[in-house]
Amino acid sequence: MKTVLPWLLWLWIASTIVCAYLLAPPMKGFAAHGESSRLLFFHVPMAWTAFVAFLAAGIWSALYLKTRRPRHDRAANAAVQIGLVFCLLATVTGAIWARVQWGAFWNWDPRQLSITVALVYYAAYLALRSQVEDAEVRARVSGAYAVLGLVVAPFLFFFAPRVAAFSLHPQPVINKEVLTGQQGPGMDPTALAILVAGALGFMVLFFWLHNLTTRLAALEDDRNEPA
Amino acid sequence: MSDPGSTSAAAWVAEAAAVFAKDWRCEFRTRYALNTLGLFAFTTLVVVSLVLGPVGVAPGLATTVLPVILWLIVLFAVTAGLPRIFVAEEETHTATALRLAATPSALFAGKLLYGFTVVLALEALITPLFLAMVQLEARRPDLLVAALLAGGYGLATGSTLVASIVAQARGKSALFAVLLLPVLVPGLLFAVQLTRAAVGGEAPGVEVQMLLLYDGTLTVAGLMLFPTIWNP
Repeated sequence: MKTVLPWLLWLWIASTIVCAYLLAPPMKGFAAHGESSRLLFFHVPMAWTAFVAFLAAGIWSALYLKTRRPRHDRAANAAVQIGLVFCLLATVTGAIWARVQWGAFWNWDPRQLSITVALVYYAAYLALRSQVEDAEVRARVSGAYAVLGLVVAPFLFFFAPRVAAFSLHPQPVINKEVLTGQQGPGMDPTALAILVAGALGFMVLFFWLHNLTTRLAALEDDRNEPA
Repeated sequence: MSDPGSTSAAAWVAEAAAVFAKDWRCEFRTRYALNTLGLFAFTTLVVVSLVLGPVGVAPGLATTVLPVILWLIVLFAVTAGLPRIFVAEEETHTATALRLAATPSALFAGKLLYGFTVVLALEALITPLFLAMVQLEARRPDLLVAALLAGGYGLATGSTLVASIVAQARGKSALFAVLLLPVLVPGLLFAVQLTRAAVGGEAPGVEVQMLLLYDGTLTVAGLMLFPTIWNP
């Protein structure tokens, strides 16, 4: 069963990609006769997965600070590493979409800035880990920094865009549709289903990769432990 | 018979005050932070006014652009000087004595108060000079003072917490800036917007509440996280 599940996951993601290109109708209001909307089936799930990964990293770090069990620190570190890949892909796909839709890769949109700051924050987390030799101190200080990330995140993602002068980003419309199930302009039920299926696929992919990474890290820790 | 709660609260305040007084005493002996922050900020200010001076900023853009430059000067000065808050304790091997002498939360509060007063001193020096050199008028001085107080407090809180983290790592100075900037981005954004309202003479939006919320949240997070960072 364990060998079948990854293949099922790949099949699910591959089907989502095929559906995004062949089944989803072009959305109204998007550039290139609505064809640019197909990028959102990758960009939005990647951004959500990155958000879930960083949230999970913060929770695992808080658990480490409470229990001091190394497995929680390994889990937090793995979540940040994989979350960063998703965050980078979300940023790049977002920039490509912005070029097609708004005419420039970078538009000073508050949400572009938020995700870039998140990228820098968790890259800094990894830089911090690389600069502390003692494993216990490394886990403690990086854990505190990841929990601080949970505190700063609402200001970056929810409060800072409120004081921004403008936002071109269509995310609130899409989020509302996905969260409430209400259909709005430019989002039909097929597209919504593919978007949710893509998000599910990427999130399961994240947890699968996370499982592999933490198991590998546990083996490395066992090997490095003095006998 | 005295209330044990009030006794412990008084002891906590006394510990925090002792840390604050100790840090200022050390500062007056070495003048490290004041010299570094003050000179760094002043040099940056001179460079900015040299670059902007002959060209100037279009009147329409001045209220938008210049507040950003003011906060960048303060931010870079803080980044250069405030890591010393905890790094000095590790380098002079006084961290262990501090761990024994004060409860972590009182130590954090004392260090935070020290950092805040240093930032306030820096802002008091730089802001009038900046306004005079770039010929910018604060139409709402009350808002400017609020931005400098609340924004400065946010800078000091984030810096104190991150300084305690980098004190236990290698490559402290570079790492301090890398770790600190993403933490301070929301607070700086609110402070810049509030400063824009102050120089533009506009009524503020939700920036004051956001800045106070940010400051309060960072303080609570600092008081909760610092004991785990500080105590092995």
